Amino acid sequence: MTADTPRLRLGIVAVVAVSLFAALFARLWFLQVLTAGEHELAAERNQRRVVPLPAPRGRILDRDGEILVGNRASNVVTVNRAELNTLDDDEQDVVFRRLGAIVDRPPSMLEATLNDTTLGPFTPVPVIEDVDEEVLIEVRERQAELPGVEARQLAVRAYPHGSLAAHVLGYVGAINSEELEAAGGPDAPGGYRRASRIGKDGIERAFEDDLRGVDGEVVLEVDAHNVPLRELSRREPIQGDDVVLSIDLEAQQAAEQALAEGMSQSQRSVDPDTGQPVIFGGSTVVLDIKEGTVAAMASWPTFDPAEFVYEITPEQFAALTDPAKGTPFVNRAVLGQYAPGSTWKLVTALAGLEAGLIDPEVKIYDPGVYTIPDCSSRCGRQNAGRASYEDVDLRKALTVSSDTYFYDIGARFWQQRARLGDRAMQDMAARLGFGERTGVGLPVEASGRLASPAVRAAQYEANPEAFLSGDWFIGDNVNVAIGQGDLAVTPIQLANAYATFATGGTRYEPNLALRVQKQDGTLVREIEPRVATRVELPAAAGAPILDGLIGATQSEDPRGTAFNAFAGFPHEQFPVAGKTGTAQTGGDRRDDALFAAFAPARDPRYAVSVVMERAGFGSTWAAPVARSVLGSLSGLEVPERVAPVAGGSRA
Amino acid sequence: MQTSAAPGRLGAVLRGDPAAPWRHLDWPLLGAALSIAGLSCLMVFSATRTSMAEAGLDPYTYLKRQAAFLGIGLVVAAVVVSLDYRTYRDIAPGVYLGCLALLVLVLTPLGTEVNSAQSWFEVGSFQLQPAELTKVAVVVVLAAIGATSRSTLNRQRFLVCGAVAGVPAALVLRQPDMGSTLVLMAIFLGVVVVAGARPRHLAVLAAVGVLGVWAMFHFDQVDDYQRDRLTDFARSGSGATTSSGFQAEQAETAIGAGGLFGAGLYEGTQTKLGFVPEQQTDFIFTVVGEELGFAGSATLLVLYGVIVWRIWRTARLSRDTFGTLVCAGVLAMILFQVFENMGMSMGIMPITGLPLPLLSYGGSSMITTWIALGLVLDVHMRRFS
Repeated sequence: MTADTPRLRLGIVAVVAVSLFAALFARLWFLQVLTAGEHELAAERNQRRVVPLPAPRGRILDRDGEILVGNRASNVVTVNRAELNTLDDDEQDVVFRRLGAIVDRPPSMLEATLNDTTLGPFTPVPVIEDVDEEVLIEVRERQAELPGVEARQLAVRAYPHGSLAAHVLGYVGAINSEELEAAGGPDAPGGYRRASRIGKDGIERAFEDDLRGVDGEVVLEVDAHNVPLRELSRREPIQGDDVVLSIDLEAQQAAEQALAEGMSQSQRSVDPDTGQPVIFGGSTVVLDIKEGTVAAMASWPTFDPAEFVYEITPEQFAALTDPAKGTPFVNRAVLGQYAPGSTWKLVTALAGLEAGLIDPEVKIYDPGVYTIPDCSSRCGRQNAGRASYEDVDLRKALTVSSDTYFYDIGARFWQQRARLGDRAMQDMAARLGFGERTGVGLPVEASGRLASPAVRAAQYEANPEAFLSGDWFIGDNVNVAIGQGDLAVTPIQLANAYATFATGGTRYEPNLALRVQKQDGTLVREIEPRVATRVELPAAAGAPILDGLIGATQSEDPRGTAFNAFAGFPHEQFPVAGKTGTAQTGGDRRDDALFAAFAPARDPRYAVSVVMERAGFGSTWAAPVARSVLGSLSGLEVPERVAPVAGGSRA
Repeated sequence: MQTSAAPGRLGAVLRGDPAAPWRHLDWPLLGAALSIAGLSCLMVFSATRTSMAEAGLDPYTYLKRQAAFLGIGLVVAAVVVSLDYRTYRDIAPGVYLGCLALLVLVLTPLGTEVNSAQSWFEVGSFQLQPAELTKVAVVVVLAAIGATSRSTLNRQRFLVCGAVAGVPAALVLRQPDMGSTLVLMAIFLGVVVVAGARPRHLAVLAAVGVLGVWAMFHFDQVDDYQRDRLTDFARSGSGATTSSGFQAEQAETAIGAGGLFGAGLYEGTQTKLGFVPEQQTDFIFTVVGEELGFAGSATLLVLYGVIVWRIWRTARLSRDTFGTLVCAGVLAMILFQVFENMGMSMGIMPITGLPLPLLSYGGSSMITTWIALGLVLDVHMRRFS
């Protein structure tokens, strides 16, 4: 054995060596032949970083091309929390100290910005905006020391006219998870990324698909330290298309200014609990009757959309939705719901004519007070200030706003409900568009409320505790006839109802935009007028109602309710058919002031509504605002109106 | 043979003496080793050119230095070959003791710390790694002890062998250089197995080894990064979080991305963009894998196979036990380093800092390997004389 032993032992070594080489070979085969594909992909991913290039949004223009929302470049420093959180606390502090030194801010302030919980964890939070170019460069140069920090240039929204039309324009913000999900998730082709911005309200949201454009991207080759070496490919972003609104800059300015002046003069309310002044809101809407579009839409108080250019702070948001500050965020033109008051008499008049309850030529005697027939309790009603208008026909009833005339119609509708149905007035209102959204195309809109015996019975059925009774009484009909009771309308509904009457029955879903176009003005698509319905209006209804409404602004004797407000107005060239409204808001609270009109009366082009919460008489407060707006729309020299004086006609 | 020294040898050469050493040069071994060393220059260049150029330095720096190391290595090998290998049996103990002295010195402030291991002496612009030379010294000393008897290794000599390998291994571990420690242990095993260690002794050694590893972990004598390397290895493929896990993942990606024929010389993105750390040294195989693909890597593996085969063959052909054991030691040294280094690059072995013989950048390793191969060539040449 001795002689062969070393050989034998070398045999052991050979076996070991062959085994080890076989193992290496097998592994090599596995890596480079069997699984080469996935390693190639991993290597590919390693060296490529895709940097999205967000597309600048399209602009929003007024009907003449005036820029209402544009873009500007802003240098911002953002922090990616997901990346930052991979560091321990001490390391994070170091990052904040370094960044603080660069941007010249206390590190604690930057850190506090990050606590914003309204953003998703993957959305880079802008900690400081509109910094100098040098800061941008320094942050980029020291990228390695500032993990999670990014300096970049953003195209942000610019508002050359400040808060003008803020409610219509809406705003843009970081996409949230629901919106992302609704758009197909973060990986949907052509979809949104986690850091994308999206239209949140108004036109920005309604026309999101037109405005957003197509994001581009740069593919960079990076080394192991994520340092970019060169550009592998680049796809330029495509700016979104411009949206041309039907809004007319001048009309909008006139509407906002008149409303703001009127509202600030009418503010007298004090919160009984705190003694602090309470701010109530108002709204005015101008529709272009011929086009079926919105020419101006104002809501007061308003806000500055520039606040939303980056991320809004919780404090800012709270202020915008604070009722004590008048909830400036709410677009009252489409969301405010009010009792229509006497502006409703148009509906009652049309319904009465159709039902044959009104003969326009027949006068009834209005003693100033009215007692509801077949009534058991609280049966007295009266005109505003118990004023007696003596002999009143339909024209005069509208001109002077005789409640008694319309109480009577309301009562008779109830008495003859077997023949006319128990909701004849409501049906007429529905034909004019009340009780449903106008379809103006803003993301949110209220539908108002049209109560009727059936509706009330259903409500009672559903929730018996909340109502005294599910029955409808004759008094309810009497109330509805003058626009009180269980009714609510939005300002845009009110304007659209008057527009429908003015056109003789064509009701539009008002458009806010005329067309979508490229930056150079080439047309992308035209937005056609949308006719919601053509309603039947009683034949021969036009003349007496029209006369009555014109009388309201022009007639000195009998004195129209808006005669004072329209004193000196160029009635010859631009006659206005209108109706004041003063809606009780319950208890001792002051009334809401309303005015609805169209003009020129015999060839109507515009319909206008004005609603001013808790302002008082419609004739005193709302009619003068309408006068300013209509004056501007007329394009004529219109003398300054006399400042509102307390008193005036209630209706 | 009765011929006298110099004139006789020259005469034999002139007469075409079939026993003349130079006639028995192992060409396949030399050829395979030179091929790998030549490839090394290319691969080291590929791994370093981009980063050097980016730093504004001469991209050929590493290529030139590696070529110089190869030159020095060949000269040293020639010197080794020129003397009868049996001569080294006598000078080995002195070299061995010198190495031990250097291993102690390198732990003093005279040594330099690189990558948190105090393993180097700075000599001008060169760095000397005493652990490398120690490997060869240990091979020769162990072979000398093992060759003192043709029978099996008794307990006494087994223990002496253990001490000869164990002392430098312990010193190297202090640096800490786990890789070189393991190489010394592999050399020890290779020599004593071939020298005829008793299975009983080997079993006890294995038991002590297992117990020792357990104790090191249990008493927390293992550095975190070493633990990471081991545990990352065990968890490979589960998304690395530690730096050594990153290393292993990127190395595997680079090799796998090479596919059948590779990305082409200088075209590997993992290589160019610096995703694999320590690429010109310990992870040089990833450059071969990525740029030359399976074709190149398998060829390289075959070349190492040729080297190991020729060393093994020389061990069998050796005229004496000393030569056999020297070859066994060199074989163990090279085989272990090739397996561990390629294995860690491919994710089947834990990461340790070990050069791939002949391919990794570095003078100490290159020269040491050529000394070792010189010894083997020497044994082969003089198997008849």
